[in-house]
Amino acid sequence: MMHTAPIIEFDRVSKVYPSGGGPVTALHDVTLSIAAGEFIALIGPSGCGKSTLMRLIGDLEQPSAGTVRVKAKTPEQARRDRDYGIVFQAPVLYEWRTVRKNVELPLEIMGRPAEQRRERAMSLLRMVGLGDFAQAYPHQLSGGMQQRAAIARALSFSPSILLMDEPFGALDEITRERMQVELLSIWAESEPRPTVIFVTHSIPEAVFLADRVVVMSPRPGRVQRIVTIDLPRPRVFETREAPRFFSLVTEVREALRAVDNGR
Amino acid sequence: MPYAAPAAIARRVLPLIGVISALLLIWEGAKLLFAISDQRLPHLGAIVETMFSRTRGGAGPLLVVQMLANGWATFRVALGGFIIGGLLGFGLAVLFMRLPILEHGLMPYVIGSQTVPILAIAPMVVVGLGRMGAPAWAAKMVVAAYLTFFPVTIGMLRGLRSASPQSLDLMRSYAASPAQTFWKLRLPNALPYLFTSLKIAASASVIGAIVAELPSGASEGIGVMILNAAQFYNSRPPALYLAILVAGLVGVLFYGLVALAEHLVLRWRA
Repeated sequence: MMHTAPIIEFDRVSKVYPSGGGPVTALHDVTLSIAAGEFIALIGPSGCGKSTLMRLIGDLEQPSAGTVRVKAKTPEQARRDRDYGIVFQAPVLYEWRTVRKNVELPLEIMGRPAEQRRERAMSLLRMVGLGDFAQAYPHQLSGGMQQRAAIARALSFSPSILLMDEPFGALDEITRERMQVELLSIWAESEPRPTVIFVTHSIPEAVFLADRVVVMSPRPGRVQRIVTIDLPRPRVFETREAPRFFSLVTEVREALRAVDNGR
Repeated sequence: MPYAAPAAIARRVLPLIGVISALLLIWEGAKLLFAISDQRLPHLGAIVETMFSRTRGGAGPLLVVQMLANGWATFRVALGGFIIGGLLGFGLAVLFMRLPILEHGLMPYVIGSQTVPILAIAPMVVVGLGRMGAPAWAAKMVVAAYLTFFPVTIGMLRGLRSASPQSLDLMRSYAASPAQTFWKLRLPNALPYLFTSLKIAASASVIGAIVAELPSGASEGIGVMILNAAQFYNSRPPALYLAILVAGLVGVLFYGLVALAEHLVLRWRA
């Protein structure tokens, strides 16, 4: 996977926010290259700029310095080409639409015919285990189910890049571990398989999911270390009990501690 | 549910009966306790009796029928004003959302318009528009609309701006056009706010319609009934209370219709 051409490239990217107490550097001099089809986890303490990094890829914010290239285009062009599916920590489902209509929303905006939308939404809902809830409204679903619907919505138009900002952060630990396994199987089933940028606070989550874990340091945010996760796929429940899993968790934890010591 | 369970009906009806009984008791109790004369506060029985008295010295219809007919006239004016004011309020809100500079420029006047007492403006509008050849009903609707548009503007603007940053981020990521973002996100998201302000506007438009009927020359409506009853208060106090009752009825009915529309439109909330 590491040999494919880069799909996302950061070249000495910085992001500075103006604020009342002077400018705040959220991201400083980040250079990073992500291969197509890779699953990347961004981890670091609050304020390390990991969400900012994700938002720069998605053209939800623009860099103050340096360049971001996505599929050899500007992030803006990539956004206009509908290369991004986004999942936030909150499901952000439109509460006046049924679950199926929520999944159809991006396709509706992109002008796909009604029947095609419906078929695509139903097949995705079945894939995320919500086939029986297509006609339900979001408030009738549990938090985990809502987040599954949000993932289905993000995948509906087969974007080449999936941006996930702590998508399981609001779920309980048990649901969370189940969703991680489900996400990996959805990801493996998706054709073409999207590149995933996954922002998280959880070390085991990052190790379990990712091909590479990007460890970030705060104030100003920068890439501290990149840990390659060589756990075999498909990763299953037992993966979390493997000795290699623990040693990788330890490695990421040590990298994060180095972040603290370095300050 | 195919039918409402008796217990559910009882839960809704019993409080209503309780409140009405309490009001009746307080009314008659206050009369008894503080020895309030029939002139200042008539017996409830006298009001009911007046309802079924003949108008025009016995030749006309029952007073209650006449009152309800005038209530209906007021309702029509209020509805017309409500629709005009609602559309105006909606339009202003959309305009202010798209062009904040217009909001800064116009909002002080919009607010100012509502601090001027409606009683002072209504005769000017009714007489002024009448001189310009506008029909009486149109002038009355303008006064009702004057009170209606303001809550709709404020509520709708708030609603249009209440879409969460993340829901807007999603629209951005789909490369949605401003029109798509409006129709598929901002507008449906604003509907609960819109209905809240429409409920306020419903009663405001009834007040506007009644006030517009007060200037001399008006021939029908609750406003006319109130003026007449007030004029003959000394000889027949219950008539004024009846007019007020009908005014309240029209307001409640109007509010109920908007609440029903809300229930039907915002079905997804249930």
